[in-house]
Amino acid sequence: MVELAVDKHVKYILSVEKNKDSFESVVMDHLRMNGAYWGLTALDLLGKLDSVNVDEVISWILKCQHESGGFSGNIGHDPHILYTLSAVQVLALFNKLDVLDIDKVATYITGLQNEDGSFSGDMWGEVDTRFSYIAICCLSILCCLDKINVEKAVSYILSCKNLDGGFGCTPGGESHAGQIFCCVGALALTGSLHYVDKDLLGWWLCERQVKSGGLNGRPEKLPDVCYSWWVLSSLIMIDRVHWIDKEKLVKFILDCQDVENGGISDRPDDAVDVYHTYFGVAGIYCHSAHLLAIVLFICFHEFNMRNSVYDARYCCRTLTSQLSRTESH
Amino acid sequence: MDLLNQLETILESDPLIDEVGLIHPSQFITLSKECNESSNSSADGAFRPANTKFWNRDHKLGISTEILLPLCKAAKSAFMDAMKQYKTHSDLSVNKHEDKNMVYGPSSSCQSFESEVMKHSRALLLLSCDLGTAWNARKLVVLKKQQLPMFTDELHLSALVLSYSHKSEQAWSHRRWVIKMIAGKYSNLQQIIAKESELVEKIAERSKMNYRAWNHRCWLVSYMTREQMLYELKKSRDWAGLHVADNSCFHYRRRLMLGISENKQGDDPSYDVENYEVVKEELDLNEALIKRYIGREALWLHRRFLSLCLIRHLMTTTHGISCHSTSVDNEINIFLDKELRLLDSCLTIQDMEFEDSEAQAMYSTMYFLWLIKQIPEFRKIELQEKLKAGNLKNILHKTCPERSFLWDVLEL
Repeated sequence: MVELAVDKHVKYILSVEKNKDSFESVVMDHLRMNGAYWGLTALDLLGKLDSVNVDEVISWILKCQHESGGFSGNIGHDPHILYTLSAVQVLALFNKLDVLDIDKVATYITGLQNEDGSFSGDMWGEVDTRFSYIAICCLSILCCLDKINVEKAVSYILSCKNLDGGFGCTPGGESHAGQIFCCVGALALTGSLHYVDKDLLGWWLCERQVKSGGLNGRPEKLPDVCYSWWVLSSLIMIDRVHWIDKEKLVKFILDCQDVENGGISDRPDDAVDVYHTYFGVAGIYCHSAHLLAIVLFICFHEFNMRNSVYDARYCCRTLTSQLSRTESH
Repeated sequence: MDLLNQLETILESDPLIDEVGLIHPSQFITLSKECNESSNSSADGAFRPANTKFWNRDHKLGISTEILLPLCKAAKSAFMDAMKQYKTHSDLSVNKHEDKNMVYGPSSSCQSFESEVMKHSRALLLLSCDLGTAWNARKLVVLKKQQLPMFTDELHLSALVLSYSHKSEQAWSHRRWVIKMIAGKYSNLQQIIAKESELVEKIAERSKMNYRAWNHRCWLVSYMTREQMLYELKKSRDWAGLHVADNSCFHYRRRLMLGISENKQGDDPSYDVENYEVVKEELDLNEALIKRYIGREALWLHRRFLSLCLIRHLMTTTHGISCHSTSVDNEINIFLDKELRLLDSCLTIQDMEFEDSEAQAMYSTMYFLWLIKQIPEFRKIELQEKLKAGNLKNILHKTCPERSFLWDVLEL
C-alpha cells in the first residue's frame, strides 16, 4: 500500500512560500494568513514545525493586526474574522498566544455578534454559520467564550438545521459538508451536541462516501480530499465515524498524493495545493488518532486551557506514535 | 500606454461590457480572422490583429493570458496606493470637520481619490475577484455617496465578475450588501428579487451545482411574498426537470415549499388545501422524473423531504390538532402502500448489470429505510410487517452492503 510521503510534503509546503511570482500566488496573496495556518499545521502534524523561523512568522502576523483587534489576510488588507481565527491558531500552534492583547481580539469578535445570535464576517455584515464557528472556536482558544451570548449563538445555528439533518449557511440554506463541520464544531465547543439528531445527521454524512472511497460535500458531487476531512471530522464529533469505510477513505487520500514532488490534490491526478495538502494530512492523522475529537473535546471543552491547542497536538503525536507502534506489532 | 491604463480605458469607453474572459494569445488571430470574414474585407491569410492583449467587441472583453501576471500586479499596486491616499485624505478631512471653524464642501482632490479607488478596484476585481479589500473599498465610497446609479453600477460590476467567476463568494456577498442598501429606499424590492432570481438561473445554467449561486437564490426567498414563492416554484419546475442531478435546484424548491407552508395569514383553511396540493404535485413530478432518469441521488433525496412533508401534513388536521383518527391512518397507509409499490417497481424491472439500475435499487432502498426512521414511533410496527413481506433486508444487503448497518440502527 502507498504510504504518506512525509518528506516530500514538507518540501512542497516550504516551497510554496518561496514561489511568489506566479499568477496564483498574486491572486492568493490576500489570504496568506489562511495559507500560513494550513501549511504550518500540516508541517506540525508531519512533525517538522521546527523547519520554519518562528520570529519571522510572528512579527508578520502582528503586522496584520488592525486597530479594531481583527486580523487581515496579509499586510495592508482589511480585517476579517476568517483571518483572525487563522492568526490566533498559528500563534497557538507556536505556543505564543502571550504576544496578543487577548481582550482586544475578543472585543473584535464579540462586536461581530448580531441581535439574533448570528455572526458577521466583518463590519460589512455578511452572515454565515461559518463565522459562528470561527467566533466560537477563536474565543475558546482565547478562553473567553463567556464574552458572547452563547445561548443565542447556539439557537441561531440550530435555526440553520434542515430536515435532512444537515446545516446550511443561513436558515433555509442547503446542507453542505463544510457548513455541517462548522455547525457541529460550534455545537461541540459550546456543549450543545445533544441538540443534534446524530443518527439522522450521521446518515446524511455517511452517504457522502462514494465508490472510490472518497467523500463528497453534497449529493451528486465528485469526492474531494477537503470534503473528506469535513465529513470525517463531523462524523467523529457525533460518534458515527464507524459508519464509513475508513480503509477506503485513507486509500483515496493517499491516491491524491503527488509522490514525486510532494503535496496533495483534491482528487487523484489533479494539481496539488497547500489547502488540500493540509486536509489530506489531517485526514490521515485523524483516521489513526482521532485528532479532531481530541482537539475539540479534551482541550477546548474539558480542560479549556490557554495553551490547549499545543497540548492537543502533543497528545495527538503521542497517540499517533503509540498507534503506529501497535500497528507495526 | 501601459497595460493597466489600456484596460481601464476600455472599461470606461464601453460601460456595457457584460462578459469577461481570458484568451490564449493564439486565439487572437482566430478571433480577428473571424471578424474579418464577417465584416467583408479581403481574406488575407497573413492577417495580424492590431492588439494582442485585449479583445473588445460586442460588449465582450477578452484579456490575454500572457499579460495576466503583470496586469494583475499593476492593478493591485495602483489600487493599494489609491486606497492609501484616499484614507489619508478622508482622515484629514474628518479632523478638519471637527474644527468647525470652516465649512468644507467636497474637495476636488477627495473626489479624484475616490474615482481613482473606483477605477483601479474595478480593474483589479476583474483579475482577482475574491479580493475582499477591493470590494470593501467600493462599499466605502458608494456608502458615502448614497446615489442610486452608483449602487446599480455595483450590481453591474458584480454580475460582470460572476460572468466568468461563477462561484466568487465576494461578488455574491457584494450583491446582497447592495440589495440590502437599496431595498425600500430606492427601488421596488419585488422587482429586484425577480431580477436576481433570473441572474442565478442564468449562471446556474453555465455552472452546475453552484452552491454560492443557489444560496443567493435561497436568501431571496425570505424577502418573497407568498405569490412570488408560488410563482418561483412554477417557474423553476422545467429547469429542475432538465437538471435532475442538481441537488441545489431541488433544495431551492424545498426552500420555497417550506416558505409557502410557513406563510399562513390568519387561519385561512384554503391555504392548507393549497399547501397540500403543492406537495402532492411535487411528489407526482418527482415520481415521473425518478422513472425517467434512473439512479439519480438528488431525486431520491428530494422524495425523502416530500414524503415527510406529506406525512406531517396528514398528521395534522386543518385545525392544527394532532390526531390519530382512522381516516388519517388510512391515508398514511394508502400513501405508504403506494411508496412500497414504487420501491417494488424500482427493484424488479431493472437489470442489475447496469450501473444506473444498481444505483436506482440502492437509492430506493435507502429512501424507504430513511422514511421508516422519520416516521413516528407508533406506526413502525405495521411498517415492519410490510417490510418483512417485501424482504427489504436482503435487498439492502445485496444493493448496498456497506450501508446494511443502518438496518440495525433502525432497530427493526
